[in-house]
Amino acid sequence: MTGLLLVVAIAGRRVALPASEVHSVIELDAPSPIPRAPAHVAGLSALRSRVLTVVDCRASLELAPEPGAPAVRPKAAVVEFEGHLYALLVDAVEDVAEARSDCLPLRTALGRGWDRVALGMVESDAGPLLLVGVAGLIAGPGDPCIKAA
Amino acid sequence: MDDLLAEFVAESREMLETLGGEIVAWEADPGDRARLDSIFRFVHTVKGNCGFFDLPRLQALSHAAEDALADVRAGRRAADAALVSAVLAVIDRIGDMVEAIDAGRDFPGDGDEGLIRALEPDAETAEELALPALAETLSHQRPAAAQRSVRLPVELLDRVMSGVSDMVLARNDLARRLRETPTDAAIEGQFERLSAIIAEVRDAMTRTRMQRIETLFIALPRLVRDLSAELGKQVLVDIEGGDVELDREMIETIRDPLTHIIRNAIDHGIETPAQRRAVGKREIGLLTLAARQSGNQIMIDVVDDGRGIDGQRLVDKAVAAGLIDAAEGARMPERERCGLIFEAGLSTAEAVTAISGRGVGMDVVRANIERVGGAVELDSTPGQGTRLTIRVPLTLSIIPALTVGLGGQRFAIPRSAVEEIVHAGEDGIELSRLATVTLARIRDRRLPCLALGEVLCSGSAADIAASRLIVLRLAGGNLFALAVDELHDHEELVVKPIAPAVMAIGLYAGTTLTDDGNPILLLDVAGIARAGGLSFDAQERASRLAEPGADTVLPGDKVLLFVGLDGRRRAVRMAAVGRIDEVGPGALQFGAGGPQAVVDDRLLSLAGVESPPGVSDIVRLFRLTDGAREIAYALREVIDIRTLDGEVLPAAAPGEIEGVTLIDGEPAEVIDAHWLFARIASEPAARQPVCRLATDDPWLHTFLRPLAEAAGYRVVTEPGEADIAIGMEDDAPAETGAGAVIRLRTTREEAAGAPDSVYRYDREGLAAAFAAARRRIAS
Repeated sequence: MTGLLLVVAIAGRRVALPASEVHSVIELDAPSPIPRAPAHVAGLSALRSRVLTVVDCRASLELAPEPGAPAVRPKAAVVEFEGHLYALLVDAVEDVAEARSDCLPLRTALGRGWDRVALGMVESDAGPLLLVGVAGLIAGPGDPCIKAA
Repeated sequence: MDDLLAEFVAESREMLETLGGEIVAWEADPGDRARLDSIFRFVHTVKGNCGFFDLPRLQALSHAAEDALADVRAGRRAADAALVSAVLAVIDRIGDMVEAIDAGRDFPGDGDEGLIRALEPDAETAEELALPALAETLSHQRPAAAQRSVRLPVELLDRVMSGVSDMVLARNDLARRLRETPTDAAIEGQFERLSAIIAEVRDAMTRTRMQRIETLFIALPRLVRDLSAELGKQVLVDIEGGDVELDREMIETIRDPLTHIIRNAIDHGIETPAQRRAVGKREIGLLTLAARQSGNQIMIDVVDDGRGIDGQRLVDKAVAAGLIDAAEGARMPERERCGLIFEAGLSTAEAVTAISGRGVGMDVVRANIERVGGAVELDSTPGQGTRLTIRVPLTLSIIPALTVGLGGQRFAIPRSAVEEIVHAGEDGIELSRLATVTLARIRDRRLPCLALGEVLCSGSAADIAASRLIVLRLAGGNLFALAVDELHDHEELVVKPIAPAVMAIGLYAGTTLTDDGNPILLLDVAGIARAGGLSFDAQERASRLAEPGADTVLPGDKVLLFVGLDGRRRAVRMAAVGRIDEVGPGALQFGAGGPQAVVDDRLLSLAGVESPPGVSDIVRLFRLTDGAREIAYALREVIDIRTLDGEVLPAAAPGEIEGVTLIDGEPAEVIDAHWLFARIASEPAARQPVCRLATDDPWLHTFLRPLAEAAGYRVVTEPGEADIAIGMEDDAPAETGAGAVIRLRTTREEAAGAPDSVYRYDREGLAAAFAAARRRIAS
């Protein structure tokens, strides 16, 4: 695989999202909560008159919330998936890097949540990175069928 | 009319264009059935359209061509070269005439007869030879087509429309930001201008999607004429408000329902001339169609002066079809009886006729209208006629909504679902909490009441007594009250779809941005009712029973007066009566635990009966409910609903009978519902099976609990004795003291592979498990 990767930090781990799928990176105001939504759906927000569904990546990976106070305006990668806009909440957006290899299969288990969203490893300017699928992050832990896809 | 003519010209032109290739292909192979059909369709359509405009020449031509082609289609005639040429000449002539109409010119020449003669089977070749020359003389007269209109794909319009909607939202957002920061007056001025332009563009764009409702009405006089001729009736159509404009898509949506309603009106409503004469009406029936705009809704009235709807016959049919029982039917007010016409599977036609008996009922009509956020209302006076009103919103994407507040957050409710708004503290509003259910008595209606905060688990602790109650109407006509913290506003909202993960919650129908740029969720009213655990069958009928007759405004409790199995007159307070059922004698059990009855697959304790009745008797029961539990009471027949205005002389000792009163001058025993329920409550717990939920998992409590309770189980969470224990996946109970264990699985595959496992949405599977556990207890 070639192309640009957006390097972000989720739960202290540096991972890559395919930059082609990312519309923009924004600082997010507090989203409006959605009562009874799945844990990883943090709420709704708006970007240039479009509604964003905010996905908390930590919760999507079934990881504990970040220790300490949450960031006032956390960073989020805006992606479009199946016609809907999502804001993926990440700890930090670090860099944009060029991919140097195809997406290589993972040889190790990373834990339940990560295994579900990981697409594989990719070599890049910024070193080897875990490539993460947008679909898995959006789906969250609820639906076990996504990983197969 | 000019608009319609232009529409006709555009349509004909477009059809001619697409037909061009077909004609050539047909000429090459006159046996080609598909080509023949499309050419036939063209002349047929032109002929039909000509009927509305005064275009006799065009009509004669297309009619002749249609006849000739119909003969070919029916195999009465072969498509020889002469016929093909003649038809083509006619089509060319039609094209020329259409252009002439468009240009507003008179069409010269009178060669029509020659063309028509050429279509006849024994037409002479000489005529045929003369045709090319005729065509030639005409061709140089044809002016360059004046392009007055453009036909666009609707998708393109939709895209532009959605762009405009976004632009409006972006404008609103910008406006908010400008308000927040001090801005140069010049910028503000320019912004105002931009704002005005956007508003105008939006207006214009909305109008491009609009069509006059005339386009829908235009085909109706013909439909009415054909139908009434077929049925031997005389009907005059009166159309008003054809210039009302409506979203194109909406016009398409209501086309079929409206046609169906008109068919019904002529077939069932308007009588034959002889019948009309007999009752002193004019022989000619009148069917009025009137469209008008009211706010952002369009109302279409279809009014006939026929025989009206026979409510009694509808009731009989509904009883025969098992939709309601006889006692309920007898108590229904006339308006509700007529409303039965919207129930699936009912038709008032004596026999299924070719006109209305097409397998599409009024239930489908209503469903189609409601699907787009509209409503159908019916008003019928026997002997005088019927008025049916269709209400639809102007467009599909902009929804009028009521915004409400809950713990600082705002939600929108589609206004079409809102029936009434009241303050919980008002006079005549009474809230009572019965076990887990809150009931709101609003004037004389008793409605189940949900607190939005509880349904959404938002932890809003606001007191329901201080809240606003919104009475909401569900698609089936059932009402319930929803308590919210505060009311905000009526707004027109541009609603967008929400992400699948949010949709799956089942509580929201869409999202929208307010003027200040905040996203708010549009509530799915039916989803809220479901999540709140409302079971409407019993509730709604109860509220119907509780509604007083039109003329009774007497004080005092309403009671249901009936004759018990032992022949005594008894009365029971209406507020406690759920519904009336009929069961076979086999449904009654007289075991060690006292009499019981099986009603709707549930076992209810039975009162009012001491020993088994005769084997062949159907037993009537009414259900008494305290909101949480039900018991059945056997009776012989219902007399009526009365008001308890006399004094009740208390019975000597507490028991089933609270006392005796006089109703209509005769004594009646008043049943003590409290005593009955108290007796049931003191029954040993074994009588009601126990279902234990293994964890506090919200899914178990919201989704499964109602199912278990409906199956007659008492639901507990603390460890201990239980007849059935249910858990999710891995946290399933390692069972002690439970008769049966069910592990719920997220997928069907998992459920298939593991013992004691049920896929969590496998309703039948769960019901079977509950039933199996019950059988174990019973054996």
